[in-house]
Amino acid sequence: MGSSMMGARIRRREDPQLLRGEANFVDDLKLPGLLHAAILRSPHGHAAIKAIDLSATRAAPGVVDAFCLADIWPENPPAIPVLVGVESMLQCPQYPLAGQRARYVGEPVAIVVANSRAEAEDALELARVEYTVLPAVVDAQAALHPDAPCLHDSAPGNICARWTQATGDAAGAIAAADIVITERFKMQRYTAVPLETRGILATPDAVSGELTIWVSGQWPHTARGITAAMLGLEERRVRVIQPDVGGGFGVKAEIYPEDVLIPLAATRLGRPVKWIEDRREHLLGIAHSREMTFDMELGLRRDGSILGLRVTIISDHGAYLRTLAMVNPSLAATGLTGPYDIPNYSAEVICALTNKSVCSPYRGAGAPEATFARERLLDVAARQIGMDPAAFRLKNLIPPEAMPYATGLTSVEATVVLDSGNFPAALRQALLLVDYDGFRARQAQARSEGRMPGLGICMYTQLAAVGPHESAEVRVDGQGNVTVVSGAAPGGQGTATSLAQVVADQLDVPMEKVRVSFADTARIPFGTGTYASRNAVMAGSAAMMAAKRVRAKAAQMAAHLFECSPDDIEWQDGDARIVGMPGKSCSLANLAQAARPGGSRPEGMEPGLEIRHYFETHAVPFSYAAHLAEVEVDPATGGVKVNRYIVVNDCGKMINPMLVEGQVVGGIAQGLGGALFEELAYDSDGDLLTTDLFSYRLPGTLDMPNVEISHLISPSDLNPLGVKGVGEGGAIGSHGAIANAVEDAIAHTGARVHQTPLRPSVVWALLNAG
Amino acid sequence: MTVNGRQLCAAVPGRRSLAEFLREDLGLTGTHLGCEQGVCGACTVLLDGRSVPSCLVLAAQADGCTVSTVEGLADGDKLHPIQAAFWQEHGLQCGFCTPGFLMTVYEFLLSTHGPTEDEVRRALAGNVCRCTGYQNIIKAVMAADLMWER
Repeated sequence: MGSSMMGARIRRREDPQLLRGEANFVDDLKLPGLLHAAILRSPHGHAAIKAIDLSATRAAPGVVDAFCLADIWPENPPAIPVLVGVESMLQCPQYPLAGQRARYVGEPVAIVVANSRAEAEDALELARVEYTVLPAVVDAQAALHPDAPCLHDSAPGNICARWTQATGDAAGAIAAADIVITERFKMQRYTAVPLETRGILATPDAVSGELTIWVSGQWPHTARGITAAMLGLEERRVRVIQPDVGGGFGVKAEIYPEDVLIPLAATRLGRPVKWIEDRREHLLGIAHSREMTFDMELGLRRDGSILGLRVTIISDHGAYLRTLAMVNPSLAATGLTGPYDIPNYSAEVICALTNKSVCSPYRGAGAPEATFARERLLDVAARQIGMDPAAFRLKNLIPPEAMPYATGLTSVEATVVLDSGNFPAALRQALLLVDYDGFRARQAQARSEGRMPGLGICMYTQLAAVGPHESAEVRVDGQGNVTVVSGAAPGGQGTATSLAQVVADQLDVPMEKVRVSFADTARIPFGTGTYASRNAVMAGSAAMMAAKRVRAKAAQMAAHLFECSPDDIEWQDGDARIVGMPGKSCSLANLAQAARPGGSRPEGMEPGLEIRHYFETHAVPFSYAAHLAEVEVDPATGGVKVNRYIVVNDCGKMINPMLVEGQVVGGIAQGLGGALFEELAYDSDGDLLTTDLFSYRLPGTLDMPNVEISHLISPSDLNPLGVKGVGEGGAIGSHGAIANAVEDAIAHTGARVHQTPLRPSVVWALLNAG
Repeated sequence: MTVNGRQLCAAVPGRRSLAEFLREDLGLTGTHLGCEQGVCGACTVLLDGRSVPSCLVLAAQADGCTVSTVEGLADGDKLHPIQAAFWQEHGLQCGFCTPGFLMTVYEFLLSTHGPTEDEVRRALAGNVCRCTGYQNIIKAVMAADLMWER
């Protein structure tokens, strides 16, 4: 069969179960004696907690337990740790429950466990909490003002981290520039909103003494480690299993208070306890993301070459710092130069605390923010110097001969070396596909008729996987079936299908023989999980290498049976044969049987046709794309319709292009939502105004165009598959592309786009400002 | 009540939603709750042949009604043509919204033959998918229209 599966558009093996309604999401799991938890949450953006009285709650029908922080930890409660920090970062930790102060609406204050969800929620209403409301600060810039209320004594001035990321001499370059462009762009607070909310089911096993936690997450091994540490349990007695997950997009790779509270409740009660977040809780408590302001200065030569870029980023972190708090600002600060040759660059990053929900990565993690700001800035610069925005970009993109291109920047995740690709070719191809010159002619004609079409260009690079490792175990059993256990923890990406393709290729077996399982700490001791577009690169490479080593072991076993050298073994249709002796062959099943413990094996060979492989690396590939959005603005309403969307994408080799394209289109929908309507809006008291899916509007079938995708392929040499991650790219490019298209549509009226979302009311106001 | 062709009789608390009744009392967990606010469409079932968000219908209101859920679509091992079309066109990723889409499409295609893409988009405007960007869902519905003999 050879390499028949790599690159094939194969239907997903995950689908039949999902289509039949037979999948197992956390809320679908039931155990005897199951109890249900509900969480009491702060109704105030900022308040001192004077007293908590849960006596009536505890006495309510069906209630079996209720507790607040002081009930469990009268002092020194365990804090949710920050996993990757920066040197200047201060400690602003969140505890499982608010103690003496609540700092955002929705912050957990107490938990109730009852026989049913309804009884638990009823009992919450009987809790009496005495609050003294404190002044709240909800705007990052206002939080930095000397008179602003201070959230944490440990972070005076509400600055929780501040650092500079630089390469070359930005100040010098800007001082020497012919033209300096100064702009401020702001991206609003929005987030992933997976269709399945978060959910946890924890159960102690009285026989084994183990605690099993099923969680709708993205990183079971990390969750096990942190939960065990915070609860003072032995890690080996905690098992975390991730069942089917209804979307994560980054926000489920986090440790939330409930991740500790539900296992704690189950342990206290000795019974299974389940908590399923409702949509209101989700919007209040899920990791928020994206909210950043960019003050930018771009220095240009008169011919349009970029000399330097200097930026101040204000990143709004909400009320606390949790596990991945520093990732968004770090990736934004190291992603601003993107695919452009900007030798002199400096970014000062100021991380501000506000009385809002806690921030963490969401699909792209700093890259959509940086891409939006940069691509807006480039449009402004091109207009100011009288160049076409496409020509201006082509002039400044890193040329293919400069690859690999070391930016001189290092984020909390990785050193930014753009490993391979041809950025100008991607843009040129996209311009060709959209008939760029023809569009400009059509636009002029349409404007003369009072219509407002616009075209937006956006180029980006993305961190396309991150180490330090992923695990895979590949085992062939005596029936010739192949079992793959991966440390990844997918939630809809189709990774079971792509890993099966990879392993089937290596072992030359039909895909149906390969079964893939994920995300169970008892099945494999180390695993990293699913985030940062890493499944194909990290889990794929681990599976490939494990299968390759199984194949080599099988060859040794065959040579032992045939009494020949392993070099004389060849494979045909999955069977081992001696070269030149077609009559004698041995199936993989027979080799697995022969390799069982107790049998005869080559000297020094471990029993079992199985290998556990850890793919370890700190080097990361970067994928990239050119996005073009064609929109039309309705002058009467300010409504924006995206009519056409073109992507020229390069994520290296593709295991299954159908899945790649699915990821690209899905990501574009999320960026479109961010560009046009999604916003987690707070009032001045810190009340979240968007607590349902009416007010937090997600893109629907009538909002999305059909996306036209074509591929360039620059294989990565940083992993054996030659792949680069792609999961986040759509969301990184589309926010900026659509924002640029909207400004292009209305620029002739003098209107300028400095922030999103571009809801009809916003666009209408821009059109009618003068 | 008749659910997926099976007649049953049950006493429920007044506040039990139809979605909870299907999921908790009947074990039909294919109907998913995405928002419980009547917006996302994940919990869509057919009530006397009409699509409804089962999170906003009380179980008691469905007294005497016929209810169809995603579990009733396939014919044993054989997927319904709509399910087969979603599989073929990669019309799902995480699959959480999928049962709601399938039921909405079932109702739509039962009464509409040869729809235009625009008609499909309008018919599905009440269902939210957060993964696919809808493109392959639309393709799947167009394919299902051809595959489903009805």
